[in-house]
Amino acid sequence: MIPRLVTLRYRRPDGRWRRLYVPVLPAALVLSPLLLLAVLAGLVACRVTKVSPVGALRCTGQLLWALTGTRIELEDSQTALLISVR
Amino acid sequence: MNEQRRQILEMLAEGKITADEAERLIDAVGREQPEPPPGAALRPKSRPKYLRVLMVDNSAEEPSRVNIRVPLQLLRAGVRLASLIPPQALTRINAALDKSGVPIDLGQIKPQDIEEVIEQLDDVTVDIDDPDAKVQVFCE
Repeated sequence: MIPRLVTLRYRRPDGRWRRLYVPVLPAALVLSPLLLLAVLAGLVACRVTKVSPVGALRCTGQLLWALTGTRIELEDSQTALLISVR
Repeated sequence: MNEQRRQILEMLAEGKITADEAERLIDAVGREQPEPPPGAALRPKSRPKYLRVLMVDNSAEEPSRVNIRVPLQLLRAGVRLASLIPPQALTRINAALDKSGVPIDLGQIKPQDIEEVIEQLDDVTVDIDDPDAKVQVFCE
């Protein structure tokens, strides 16, 4: 399943939580010009390194799709970080 | 048919018990061992979906915690991505790994091999208990 929402939570040393919700599809649409540049740069890199661009695109897509369900929680004394991909 | 029912029917056939007694015995055996729900035996064991790493470090005044859940699908995708590494880069990576004391040939890691590893991961649990730290690695 395609990732839909990335949640970032960060607890600062003063104990206050910062939350950031990133909807993936709208963010990708907003950043589409940059993504297009990144894809072009990737294609050039594939050509230089003689890697199949189709295979690279497919693998990158699979990697992004597989991110759904990832959850990383780190807590160290006053600071804490939570990254969740849904 | 389980072994107890077979024995009861054999006793009935040999005339050791009457039909009523056999019926009562079969009912009693059925109550002791309820039938599994239909399809339960055919249902395959669910495959693990996530790799979970839990760590608690109590050595400091305030404990540190790490809780990571990674989809196993990410492992598969990563291996496929590794298969795209150019041969000249692969040679250098293998040499660097060998130099660091990890003699692994990345070129030998194939997606079908990782499938076998993932299938067996269900039974793997790493549990390290220390007075200052606790580490758990398992699949769920």
